[in-house]
Amino acid sequence: MKAGLSLMLVASAALLTIGALGLVVKRNVVVMLIGSQLMLTAAGLAFVAFARFGLGAANANNGAAVALFAGFAGAGGLAIGVAMAAVVYREHDTFLNDEYESVAD
Amino acid sequence: MSTEIESLAVPLLKGSLPSAITDQPAVLLIYLLLLLIVGSALAGIVLRNLVFAIAAFSVTMAAVALLYLMVAPFLLFAVQLLVFTTVSAGLLLGLLRRTSGTAPAPDSPFSPELIAGVAVGTALLALVGVVVSATNWPVRISGGTNQGLGGSLANQYVVAVAVVVVMLASAALGTALLTSQRLARRFSR
Repeated sequence: MKAGLSLMLVASAALLTIGALGLVVKRNVVVMLIGSQLMLTAAGLAFVAFARFGLGAANANNGAAVALFAGFAGAGGLAIGVAMAAVVYREHDTFLNDEYESVAD
Repeated sequence: MSTEIESLAVPLLKGSLPSAITDQPAVLLIYLLLLLIVGSALAGIVLRNLVFAIAAFSVTMAAVALLYLMVAPFLLFAVQLLVFTTVSAGLLLGLLRRTSGTAPAPDSPFSPELIAGVAVGTALLALVGVVVSATNWPVRISGGTNQGLGGSLANQYVVAVAVVVVMLASAALGTALLTSQRLARRFSR
């Protein structure tokens, strides 16, 4: 039994799929934010996997650096998303985005 | 011509890919962490209780941090655990608290719940500190690169770091403006 690039990429793909599922299927804004964070984490995991086990290992710090920047971008996006969710909740008293359709009316 | 192409291609094929981790305890730990990551991510999406969903999401982020400890530079593990996990969970829990998801904290700053929470948190932090200082982490066994990321960020990625700083500052400013009650009242008029 060994742990290599394939295993890490499978886990990354699973995480990306779960995040996309939460982002697309769920109606709750908080769960959608969690889904977007999971997708960014999956991308960072793939970069780290390639940097550790793949051709990127020639300069392994690059993959870690990209994962770091992806995480910071996700944190910034999450902060804005949380603020927007708070503003919309103030108007509609719910996190379910089906109820937000009345904004366009 | 063909020999020329072959002679050009040879340097690309020299050497081999970095070997997979074969140390059995480390492999077992990686498998467990990956299962935990996928399972808790699924729980974070599926659970209906938002507090539990955020807790599951935090477990995912912490497990990813532990995985980084084994296969990535130590700095990435530290940032993932101390910054990304806490910031993500804190922001989401703060959102719930500002709305109606969780009960507000008691008025008294030194309530018994707060004192008990601080005591438990301090004890856990001390435990983690003892474990971290006393454990020979497998990152040294599995050959992970734990040097040079800070140097790379300071030399090779200066512009990227500056962009990230500006982006995070903009995000903080935007968040403060969006959640400002005074601005909200001004726009609602």
